[in-house]
Amino acid sequence: MKKLKKAVLLLAVCLIATLIGGCGSGASADGKTHLTFQIWDVNQRDGMQAMCDAYTAQHPDVVIEVQVTSWDEYWTKLEATAISNQMPDIFWMHTNEILKYADYGKIADLTDLYDDVDPGFYQEHFSEVSLKNIQGSDGRYYGVPKDKDTIGLVYNKEMFDQAGVAYPDESWTWDDLCEASQKIYDATGYYGYMAYGDDQLGYWNFVYQNGGSILADNGINGGFNLPATQDAMRFYIDLQKNNWCPDQNYFAETSPGTAFFSGQGAMFFEGDWNILSEMQNYPNMIGKWDVAVLPKCPNPANGDGRASISNGLCYATSPTGKHYETVKDVLRFFGSEEGQRIQGESGAAIPAYIGLEDTWVGVFDQFDYRLNVECFVDMFDYGVQSVNNKFRPTWKPDVSDALLKIYSGQISFEDGMNIMQQAVDEAALED
Amino acid sequence: MNNSSLERARKIRTAGIYAFFIIGSIVMIFPFVWMLLTSFKTVEESMMVPPTILPAAWQLKNFTDAMASLPFGALYKNTLLMIFWRVVCAVVFSSMAGYAFAKLNFKGKDLLFSIVLVQQMLPSQIFITPQYQMLAKVGLTNSIFGLVFPGLVSAFGTFFMRQAYLGIPNEIAEAAYLDGCNQWQSFVKVMAPLTTASMAALAVFTAVFAYGDLMWPLIVNTDLNLMTLSSGLATLRGQFSTNFPVMMAGSLLAMIPMVVLYLFFQKQFIEGVAMTGGK
Amino acid sequence: MKEKASKRSRSESMWGYIMIAPTIIGLLVLNIYPFLDTIKLSFSKTLPFGLYELRGVQNYVKMFASAEFWRANMNTIYFCVLTVPIGLFLALVVAVMLNTKIKGRTFFRAVFFLPMVVAPAAVAMVWKWIFNTEYGILNTLLMHHINWITDPNIVIVTCAIVAIWSNIGYDAVLLLSGLQNISQSYYEAASLDGATKLQQFFHITLPMVSPTLFVVLIMRLMSSIKVYDLIYMMIEQSNPALTSAQSLMYLFFRESFVTGDRGLGSAVVIWTVAFIGVVTLVQFWGQKKWVNYEV
Repeated sequence: MKKLKKAVLLLAVCLIATLIGGCGSGASADGKTHLTFQIWDVNQRDGMQAMCDAYTAQHPDVVIEVQVTSWDEYWTKLEATAISNQMPDIFWMHTNEILKYADYGKIADLTDLYDDVDPGFYQEHFSEVSLKNIQGSDGRYYGVPKDKDTIGLVYNKEMFDQAGVAYPDESWTWDDLCEASQKIYDATGYYGYMAYGDDQLGYWNFVYQNGGSILADNGINGGFNLPATQDAMRFYIDLQKNNWCPDQNYFAETSPGTAFFSGQGAMFFEGDWNILSEMQNYPNMIGKWDVAVLPKCPNPANGDGRASISNGLCYATSPTGKHYETVKDVLRFFGSEEGQRIQGESGAAIPAYIGLEDTWVGVFDQFDYRLNVECFVDMFDYGVQSVNNKFRPTWKPDVSDALLKIYSGQISFEDGMNIMQQAVDEAALED
Repeated sequence: MNNSSLERARKIRTAGIYAFFIIGSIVMIFPFVWMLLTSFKTVEESMMVPPTILPAAWQLKNFTDAMASLPFGALYKNTLLMIFWRVVCAVVFSSMAGYAFAKLNFKGKDLLFSIVLVQQMLPSQIFITPQYQMLAKVGLTNSIFGLVFPGLVSAFGTFFMRQAYLGIPNEIAEAAYLDGCNQWQSFVKVMAPLTTASMAALAVFTAVFAYGDLMWPLIVNTDLNLMTLSSGLATLRGQFSTNFPVMMAGSLLAMIPMVVLYLFFQKQFIEGVAMTGGK
Repeated sequence: MKEKASKRSRSESMWGYIMIAPTIIGLLVLNIYPFLDTIKLSFSKTLPFGLYELRGVQNYVKMFASAEFWRANMNTIYFCVLTVPIGLFLALVVAVMLNTKIKGRTFFRAVFFLPMVVAPAAVAMVWKWIFNTEYGILNTLLMHHINWITDPNIVIVTCAIVAIWSNIGYDAVLLLSGLQNISQSYYEAASLDGATKLQQFFHITLPMVSPTLFVVLIMRLMSSIKVYDLIYMMIEQSNPALTSAQSLMYLFFRESFVTGDRGLGSAVVIWTVAFIGVVTLVQFWGQKKWVNYEV
């Protein structure tokens, strides 16, 4: 049984070796400061790495490692690191969660980050929506704006040609959307506009175009009881009753993006952050599709009928990190014109920094067929901040469940609206 | 009944068994064939109604896409290392504890053994967050050790090895003791070698379950280069959502080395597993 | 002599503790502590970031009042009813067939066992693709439009099919080893008495394999009650069948990590553990009635 002894010995040696090797999160053998940078989007990994490389080229004593966790596990993991006070040095923060993290003191207050350089930096270089996306409940800034996005209408030109329908443009309304869908379905047998059960990429846009809102004016209670909200949601949900739109069962198995790029449907709503990877992943489709601004509401209850949900991520850090001062310097760079330019030029996302939108647009010049990606930038004029309040993590699953139940007919539309309204209201009460 | 009708009945029976096995084999193998065929199709072709059986053109783009997204070499390596260390830990520690519980007398033995039994009733999902926090505190997430961590000890293995030692007569240990061995020596030199078959069975069992572990590797290691095959595939799903041809290609790349290993060692493999159900 | 015996028993105690130490310490730290923590959380109102306030039984009250919870119980039981008896029956049939002396049995055995060496994530993916309502091969072959994944009444059956397919080889191999331990002389004696193959099966095979069958039954039942990974991989978040098809452990996961109500999630776990405990006790009590240890 020498083997067994050897194995035990080997195991002990290995475990000790892993232990020593794993403790390298501090200043390690090479004397450099090692930072981890946690993100959730594989497609943006290279862009983030390029930005880090630019920083470390100027600061050779710092090493930054970009790590990707898929969205589904990201928040489970981040919360666990927050509990044990082992958060990554830098991480992406989403508007869904920022209020929770900020209010519990888990992310650092970065309001003063640029005070030495330019006290008005945030207000000068970022839009009001961008700044709202980084605020905690106390109105202070808990992140450095990373990007900003809007939702656009992606359409299949070939199908429009076959049906003899003009391409979508600025003048399009909801009626045009439905009419074109019907014509395309009749002429080609393929689906028209694929309206699926999603908030940011779905009904939120319609609600705000109609002048409704998901939250009441106080930002705490729900807006699902407002007639303008209900009318828009009813319109959106009922789209699946048309023969030109697949039902929610279909979307549970085939995402609208997959359906679109395999030539099953003519239109769907897509966020600008996915456009580049779709160009790269579906080379056969290049030249056959394009993007346009969202159609507007023809007879809104309030406003001009235009809206596109605009969200934005930010870079955040823990206030108790070991390398807080170094991290602040890195964050300052990420928010600077140079850092934001690298992000834009990598095609990762539209920089939050005002005036750098074209760096992202320019990325699309590399393709033989140039998409009309400017439309995403145009929509910032009427972008609506992505719906958020402190209690969103609590009410969001209930609202999503209710929406799915309306789709599957388990509950009526009216009951569904009541459940959603209650879910939002009660989430605030429970606090 | 004469001989020829007996012979005929036997033939019909054999034919029935073969028919059963052939249908069964088709059901078992078909998903893999379909995976293979789909992995060569374009996404457009995969969604044709009615579906084509053979790809119109055998194109490799799905494989290059999957390989561009995931570092398969590292995934194989990490998966093997994770399995290897979990197997070593399970076999060594379970043998020790199993021997002690079966053959040695000490106070509180029954109470301590009940811990082993209770553990087997608990769903593993509840361990994930606390275990993660322990690892994070000592900075060992994103490491091979992190992957091995929940498998350092095995309640099932302890239970199983205890059964194996119970099957060995006490006289053998007694003889070793009279030869001047202490408890540890008689365990290592005399008793443990008698349970190699059980150890092999436990090794196979541990390997199969470590291989299938999904949630833990997903949470603990987020560096793509430190993922396992299972967690890598889940990440691929996050990226390509419902683009099935790419996911089929990724699945194939993930399973091929294991299937090849299995084809070579299937006898040892299956017989190892067979033992874990005995007694 | 007496002194020697006590010295021996002392050394035995010492070695006993040393040899169980890694396992017991490991289990206490890795498993028992998290379990005790879960019990504590189940009596607490949980706040984000691991904060909590002890609140008594309110989570349990909320849980028992929730229709979702009872639905999850029914789903779990339904899944067990589908996978355990049917799965075990099929596995036993396969094992009996593999126990005959036909050519190619090693090959067939390897084929049935194949799913065990494929990552469950890959298994779930390919089955989802086969079951796809619109573009799946199965609906094409059946020439029906069945919502295998999205119909709340069917999706549990779909998951059960995948579970049975994945485990049949494993269970069959275990049962086969039990069958191979049955001495041929029993069958020869029965043949001489004129017993048919079917009679032999019920009077010899089944009783003789019952201890193995019991072990497999317990294992399969435990894993079926705890089913989670399979449902997680088969059902997307956008699936309308999600809330009506979740198992107990899936409900735990959603409450704990999606909704962020760890307290309620923990209560669901404690309930599940109690459930497993009761089922195990019933099994061990019931085994006296049908498991034959006389061999």
